[in-house]
Amino acid sequence: MTTIFYLLAYLSFAAFLILCVSKIRGYCAASPLHVRWEIYPVPHEGKKAAYGGSFMENSDWWLKGRHVEHIYDILGIFKEVLLLEATFKHNHKLWFRTYPFHLGMYLLMGGTILLFLTVIAGLLGASPLWNPKEMGGFVTFMHNVLNAVVLLGAFCIFGGGISLILRRMHDKGLAVYTSREHYLNIGAFVLFALMTLAAWAFNADYIQVAAIFVHSLLTFSCEPLNNVLFELSMFLGFFVMIWIPLSNMQHLLLKYFMYHDIRWNDVPTPASEKNQQLIPELLKKQVTWAAPHIAGDGTPKTWLDVAVNPDNGLKK
Amino acid sequence: MREQLTIRDFSTVEGQLTTVEEKDLPAQRLDLAFMPWKPYTEEQKKSFACLLDEVNVLNIPVPKSQAEEENLVNRFLTGMRKLFTTDNNFTCLPMLETSMDNCVQCNSCSSACHLFEMSGENEIYRPNYRSEIFRRIYKQYIKKEPFARWRYGDLGLNWKTVARLGELAYRCNLCRRCAQTCPIGVDNGLIAREIRKLFSQELGIAPKELHEKGTVLQSRVGSSTAMTPQVVKDNVEFIDEDYSEITGIEVHTPFDVKGADILLLHNAGEIIAWPENVAAFSLIFQEAGLSWTLSSKCAGYDGVNYGVFYDDAQLARIALMHMQAAKELGVKKIVIGECGHAHKALTVVADRVIPYELQTPRESCYVTLRDIVMSGRLKLNPSRNDFPVTLHDPCNIVRLMGIVSPQREILHKIAPKFREMPCHGVDNYCCGGGSGFAIMSRNNIEEWRGNISGRKKMWQIGEAFKDCLGPETKKYICAPCSNCKGQIRELLAHNDLYEKNSFAYGGLVELIVNCMENVNPGFIKWGEE
Repeated sequence: MTTIFYLLAYLSFAAFLILCVSKIRGYCAASPLHVRWEIYPVPHEGKKAAYGGSFMENSDWWLKGRHVEHIYDILGIFKEVLLLEATFKHNHKLWFRTYPFHLGMYLLMGGTILLFLTVIAGLLGASPLWNPKEMGGFVTFMHNVLNAVVLLGAFCIFGGGISLILRRMHDKGLAVYTSREHYLNIGAFVLFALMTLAAWAFNADYIQVAAIFVHSLLTFSCEPLNNVLFELSMFLGFFVMIWIPLSNMQHLLLKYFMYHDIRWNDVPTPASEKNQQLIPELLKKQVTWAAPHIAGDGTPKTWLDVAVNPDNGLKK
Repeated sequence: MREQLTIRDFSTVEGQLTTVEEKDLPAQRLDLAFMPWKPYTEEQKKSFACLLDEVNVLNIPVPKSQAEEENLVNRFLTGMRKLFTTDNNFTCLPMLETSMDNCVQCNSCSSACHLFEMSGENEIYRPNYRSEIFRRIYKQYIKKEPFARWRYGDLGLNWKTVARLGELAYRCNLCRRCAQTCPIGVDNGLIAREIRKLFSQELGIAPKELHEKGTVLQSRVGSSTAMTPQVVKDNVEFIDEDYSEITGIEVHTPFDVKGADILLLHNAGEIIAWPENVAAFSLIFQEAGLSWTLSSKCAGYDGVNYGVFYDDAQLARIALMHMQAAKELGVKKIVIGECGHAHKALTVVADRVIPYELQTPRESCYVTLRDIVMSGRLKLNPSRNDFPVTLHDPCNIVRLMGIVSPQREILHKIAPKFREMPCHGVDNYCCGGGSGFAIMSRNNIEEWRGNISGRKKMWQIGEAFKDCLGPETKKYICAPCSNCKGQIRELLAHNDLYEKNSFAYGGLVELIVNCMENVNPGFIKWGEE
């Protein structure tokens, strides 16, 4: 049983990685170059971003070299991800429910990374987090921090999740759009948080159990945990990990592209030799749209054929 | 009609799905009269799918048999599959797929939408309603996600769903204010346009004003106004003569000057409906000493490109004709006149559709005009513009291109009583005529513009002038976009607001000319003047 538990841990992590990579690759494969579809403000416009301005406010902008301040893109996406700024601005009531939910996830994700790093430090010679008798110094500090992070994170997910479910059930507008999957998504997180809270509450040292688990994962030692609540919470964690890229929660990954590659992608063709070369290639793609103004006489056509011959659609 | 529509109602309800009544409409500071809907005739109901609301843009024929019903659904699904292939939709596929897969249905977009708000929050006008129906079809029939029916609910796809969805794609101004507010980056405006594309590019169904009388006519004769090159040249010559007399300055509009620095690309509608705009441009460019020209090549004198509203092939064809006109003249840049969608189509969208070697750089007229006004090349007397002025921001130029400041710099220089509307700049609201509505007038489309889509703009105008409403003070609504002007003109006329509030509307160039010292005073006219 222990072996199966660890096997599931490896498999779910591998599945998570494979699904994430395939989602990102799928996005990139959808089009080598889509049309410009930016919406202002665009943060990398620097000072102009304060009022939503762009390089197109400058006369003869194509002669003046492109000045882009990417640091503001990075700050912009961090502000959006960490504070859910757009929700705060445009959907205040929802923010008070969804922010704790997201904050809880960030805390648990951050806590997991810290846990792995602390265990790795132990493997490299620092005092071992997985063995309280030998633990000391900075690792003790990390132990206490992780304890607080897990408790706070799980509370936030649980409280935020319950609050989101209630809002979906009782808000007239939201109820119309709420499907079983919404309840499944949020419900899985709530259950995971609940089990984590139970495991935390009914264990003398939750972090020690978690550290043994991580130590076993890293050393392939499959040590038995003998802790039903922890194992149950982990089973739910495995499911959630795989489910994220398969559901609308994949926005965790794709939000980056939706902001940087769509909303803020304003690269004009004069400034990109790569794009200049891509356009003729894309125009060679075959078009199979069936409307008469595109299909014309039915002979195979590329986008270039369609664009340069307006008479295609005009002859009846 | 049901109180609260569900997603499934879209497929199951018989007859007209919903209605908007006068009592549903939010109150306004300005006196706006409800425009009663003209009921469908029995003949209309028998012939066309009158299944959504009081408006019928597409006039989709009612299938006469079950086989025809199935055929419509199957062709729709075939088109939808094409929409999700790189070959057929490299232009928009990444945006479409991410908008399909990542929406968490938080409805943050709802409060951003003027149509949802001004219809009294009618469910079908919620930006996400249309998107969610399309999304559920996609997940169940195109992507075939495991357990899709259980996970998202069974929509029950049938011909009514298809006909209603096509029609509902035309209850969006494509202003993308909803996309701007989405925390994730989902774009309901894009989804509406993609549905329009599917109907046009696969089913051959599009509003006649955009297609037959729009892009097709423009490709054939040169302009969606049906003006041929010779007619345009004659009309502009008349405009020059008239406005030479009115302004006291000899106005000459050059055509086909090879090697000029600038090709000015007007919306040809200006030549017919607002000749003062064309004259004002000519006067300003002439007095500023620019090297410029108009083109008389087919489509080279009409910057309109309705393809941007509904069809990628038509968009590319028209954009290519514009670029060819510029290339033949050998100009250094195209300056786009006061037309919002022409700005976006040619400057932004065509930028990655037309091969680079065929392109000529494009600049907004706001930028060119700002440079002229700030350079001191014109002798301006702002006291001639001593009346309250407010500015409408065309979505395509402001939110979708980030051209916000130049027009304001001009107004701050020439209009001492300039004041902003609430929600201005990139937070603006559509005039209500966006995405092609301004040029449509049939089947209750004008009523829809007056009652719903234009209502938020009227609220903004009322708020901007709240300290000086009434007939005593002359007020100017600066709307530097042809379609927006058309929409505002109708709203003012229908509600008698020229008389009740002494409103005048027009572009930026009219205000500039109005304060040029060497021009006869009184270029802008109010009411009966």
